[in-house]
Amino acid sequence: MATRFATWLDERLGWRGVWRSIFLRKVPKVNWLYPLGSASLFVAINQIVTGILLTIYYVPTPDQAYQTVQYISGEVPAGWLIRGLHHWGASALVVLSVLHMLRVIFYGSYKFPREVTWFSGVGLLILVLGFGFTGYLLPWDQKAYWATTVGTRIAEVTPIVGQWILLVLRGGEELTAVTLARFYGMHVWALPAAMLLLLLIHLYLIVRIGISQIPGEKD
Amino acid sequence: MNSDQELSRREFLGTLTWAIGALLGAGFSIPAVVYVLGPALQRRETETWIPIATVSKVELGTPTLFKAKIERQTGWITSQEELSVYLLTENGRDFVAMSNICTHLGCRVRWIADEGKFYCPCHNGIFDRDGTVLGGPPPRPLDRFEVRVENDTLSILGG
Repeated sequence: MATRFATWLDERLGWRGVWRSIFLRKVPKVNWLYPLGSASLFVAINQIVTGILLTIYYVPTPDQAYQTVQYISGEVPAGWLIRGLHHWGASALVVLSVLHMLRVIFYGSYKFPREVTWFSGVGLLILVLGFGFTGYLLPWDQKAYWATTVGTRIAEVTPIVGQWILLVLRGGEELTAVTLARFYGMHVWALPAAMLLLLLIHLYLIVRIGISQIPGEKD
Repeated sequence: MNSDQELSRREFLGTLTWAIGALLGAGFSIPAVVYVLGPALQRRETETWIPIATVSKVELGTPTLFKAKIERQTGWITSQEELSVYLLTENGRDFVAMSNICTHLGCRVRWIADEGKFYCPCHNGIFDRDGTVLGGPPPRPLDRFEVRVENDTLSILGG
């Protein structure tokens, strides 16, 4: 029955071919540094799922943000778990993607024909850091407030356009409700949209080109 | 190499992968469901006695509206809410406390003294002065609160 339905669907969607080329493709014999990319993807999915769940209770305004975060951690059943997964996942994602990048560098996997995969990966790493920077403000506690005060000040040091960058980041001179709202908007809409696009390119290229071999003596 | 009965290494790893996947799926979806449904299914905090009127202020034989400010914790917000209750007494000793919320769809009913009836402005629900339904769509009489009188202060049990 299940097989017949699967075949019925396959005749219409051709999903078996897609499945084969994604999950049953041939890979060279590699080591345990190679799954770092998959690990990053897994944590990214964790961030998407838990992040969506957090928005159900979180409110990005100065008079409520902190209370809603406390509410999530203290009152909502399993709220501590969802927030904890998002919190620690954020750090894990930065660590894993950097390690993944180092593996790609050391094995020379960025070379022909994988340059576009590499550059999309660099873009993804920048986005991950952007997520970290914007997400850090959202709990709206002392640490968040001052970290963002300092972080935006650091951006101000940029020659010529520094002052302008600070104003754009903060949405004005000071760190206010405007800052919190735009950081939230960036964190849940702009950055995820950009990440989804780059991620699709990145994954498509990995499936299309395949993963690189470990370089031998002659490479 | 393998007989039909035996599990090959490839099959074993395949099954193991699916099993781990299922475990992870459950690990995410069960907390997620609990997290989303939890606050919706939580019971209201325990009810308390709310002082609402001085006994001598309640008119004999006519429902009188009394209001009390109560603090209510909804989610992460503590808000001041106004609780409105119609008090009715026939003899000055026994009191009936009725909610002013229509039992049809939750609009606020009003006592029209000239008619001697409660009217609901939304769908013309009509209640008698003791809260029984006289006409319109309401399915049951006006809800009542438990009443307690102490030293001339009348309190109702609510939250």
